[in-house]
Amino acid sequence: MCKILRIRGDSLSPKLQDGDFVLSSKIPILLKRLQPGDLVVFNQPGYGVLIKELETISPDGQSLVVRGLHPDSVDSRTFGTVSRRSLQGKIVYSIHQ
Amino acid sequence: MFHNLLNAIDQKLHFQRASAHCDIPCGIYDPIVAQIAALTVVRMVDLIKDLEAKGGSDAAFQNSLARYIAVKEEHAEKVKHEIRVIWGDFIKPQHVEKHPETTEVVQKVLQLGSKARQTADRESAVQLVEAVNQFAQIFWDAKGIPTKRAKAPYAPTLELVYPVL
Repeated sequence: MCKILRIRGDSLSPKLQDGDFVLSSKIPILLKRLQPGDLVVFNQPGYGVLIKELETISPDGQSLVVRGLHPDSVDSRTFGTVSRRSLQGKIVYSIHQ
Repeated sequence: MFHNLLNAIDQKLHFQRASAHCDIPCGIYDPIVAQIAALTVVRMVDLIKDLEAKGGSDAAFQNSLARYIAVKEEHAEKVKHEIRVIWGDFIKPQHVEKHPETTEVVQKVLQLGSKARQTADRESAVQLVEAVNQFAQIFWDAKGIPTKRAKAPYAPTLELVYPVL
């Protein structure tokens, strides 16, 4: 239900930096209560496991728009919305360098 | 301290990575490389013309001419490469929405870049510099950075668009 991940890349800087660790949880109640601003981990075909900030959720709750904080971030502007089924967790704790 | 501990554990267990990546790891884009390359094309055309005016056909002449043409070829291609990378990797739909002329400017750069390789026409080479300047203007505006125009401090002293940092 919980796992530790290591961040690679700087698209979420200054919230998370390259090399930081995060605790990701996929406890259903947490994933049901997602809100804009939450950091989510998901599997994106062609990109692998990504971590981004949740921007919006579609009215039916199935499609998520995600973004990075860096202008050059690869996010929903590049690959479109993320299906809720692809979610692997929500970040509940982070450990910075 | 907690990070150090996790770091040590990571060395052994290799936690899964979650990518928060950008298109290129460093996010460094700058049209100045293309601008200088375009300026180099004009410079090479000028040197070719100077050589032609002096006349000659000896080995030294042939050697200089070959070098000028080779550098012109290389830099015209560099212009096209650099602009293609920024266009493909940095420019996003919202930038094109703000500057609808972006695609046309890129197309102009690519066509003028090819013409710079095919000919020794100075006017086309100068147009290439200007087209790359127009692209630089769009690029810096997309970054929210104001620009200024100033003459390059070396021959050919054509105007370039510079960011005001």
